[in-house]
Amino acid sequence: MLDQPIVWASLGISLAVFLSVIGAALGISIAAPAIAAAGTERPEIVSKSLIATILAEALAIYGLVVGLLSIFKLPAAGAAALSDASGFRLFFGGTIMGIAAIAAGFGIGTSGGALASATAEKPELFSRAVVPLILAEALAIYAFVAALLLVLQA
Amino acid sequence: MPAETLVHILRDNYTEAKVRGKKSFLLERQQLYSLAEFRTQTEILGFLADGPYGPELSKLQETSSPVEVERAVRMGFARSIGNLASTAKGNVKQFLVEYRRRFEAYDLASLVLYKSQEKSWEEYVGNRLPLGLMNEKELHRLYSVEDLEALASEVGDKDLQSRLSGLELDGLTPDKASLIRDIFTGWGEERFYIFITRKLRGRDKESCLPIIGSSIDLVNLSIILRSKLIGISNIQDHIVPVRWKLSKKAVDQLVSSEDLSAALDRSATLPYYRKLLSGARQRYEETKSLSFIEVLVRKHMIDLSREILLGFPYTIGVELAFLVLKENEARNLAAVVSGVGAGLKPDQIRPLVAV
Repeated sequence: MLDQPIVWASLGISLAVFLSVIGAALGISIAAPAIAAAGTERPEIVSKSLIATILAEALAIYGLVVGLLSIFKLPAAGAAALSDASGFRLFFGGTIMGIAAIAAGFGIGTSGGALASATAEKPELFSRAVVPLILAEALAIYAFVAALLLVLQA
Repeated sequence: MPAETLVHILRDNYTEAKVRGKKSFLLERQQLYSLAEFRTQTEILGFLADGPYGPELSKLQETSSPVEVERAVRMGFARSIGNLASTAKGNVKQFLVEYRRRFEAYDLASLVLYKSQEKSWEEYVGNRLPLGLMNEKELHRLYSVEDLEALASEVGDKDLQSRLSGLELDGLTPDKASLIRDIFTGWGEERFYIFITRKLRGRDKESCLPIIGSSIDLVNLSIILRSKLIGISNIQDHIVPVRWKLSKKAVDQLVSSEDLSAALDRSATLPYYRKLLSGARQRYEETKSLSFIEVLVRKHMIDLSREILLGFPYTIGVELAFLVLKENEARNLAAVVSGVGAGLKPDQIRPLVAV
């Protein structure tokens, strides 16, 4: 069965969505408790700190976009079979996106938690402490771009 | 990444963010000095009303005594610790339980002091900080024990019993009372030290050791100096058998010093504590009291705590550092309130404040 390109393509789509969701969940589950705790001491910083959970959630959206675009590349029933090259492109596109989302999710979670802690201690630090969070998100964007190129070439 | 760091990131981030938030409400040096400038208790209460002590202080009336205000401040501190403990999990929770266990030693020390001053049980229990794990029923039973060694025996600790040997409750002078307090405090710190060295690992252990290790060293130093002042010969029997930067050789040299002045001079040459204790003899000669050591110890703990809070963030040391600063703040506030209540001038209050 593994010699069928459609199997690799489907696996890639599944991994893109599944691993990205795990990355997003990881980021949210690490950052959100810190944001909530910081909010119990300084309620005014909660809305600002929520950026960490929003960026983590975006990881799942990247995975979903890669997954959906890959699905559109799959041949309809009765159409010509997917080529080997296209199947592998869709597989690696999804895999890159998924793995990068997990790594970025961990980065967003830890830097988001640290952002919440730092802002709870010194609210004026927000604009500087948010930079690592954005850089962690950028890691997922690199993978997203690479995955899109692979998928669009498939 | 070490396992304990990962655990802090994944499990303890709620408590750690809470600590950071609470830390931001600690009073700054200038605020404490400003409080010393206030002339009435009402002004102090007004200043503190919006802060973390607000819920407790709002229950007070204008006619409340300084003792009641002190108690309210301490209750605010206790609530803060309870609040942290309720959110903590795993190692951090266990750590906070052990931290609270230290207050058993404070409870016992103040129990002895209250008894020696022939104060009533009601007065004692009314001023007790509700942090120690020993319940009131147990403490009430201990309050009726008339002998120090028997008290230690009732607590079930042979080490404490032997460290209190030769000391009597009757005719307790202020210096002897302070010595007994130090022995109890040292016992509490020793138990906390044992927990840290046996149960914590890696960076958690490393970050906590400077604070708790210094605390034991300085309690031992205080025991030696007070024993010298009183003229006790079997000093080694009273000291905590745990060392951090105060080596056995240094302890032996301090113990064998001719008198208190020689011991104070020698303490100023101790490698790790040289800077802290420089001028100790001069201070003693100016005040004719060893109470300055308590303020020095607190200042040292504050410096260590600030250092830890600026360091690696994923350790239990962060919690300990915050607790030390918070405990110190509560003591500072109590000192300011009682100083203002007693009509002391700001210049007389400031030396009582450790910042």
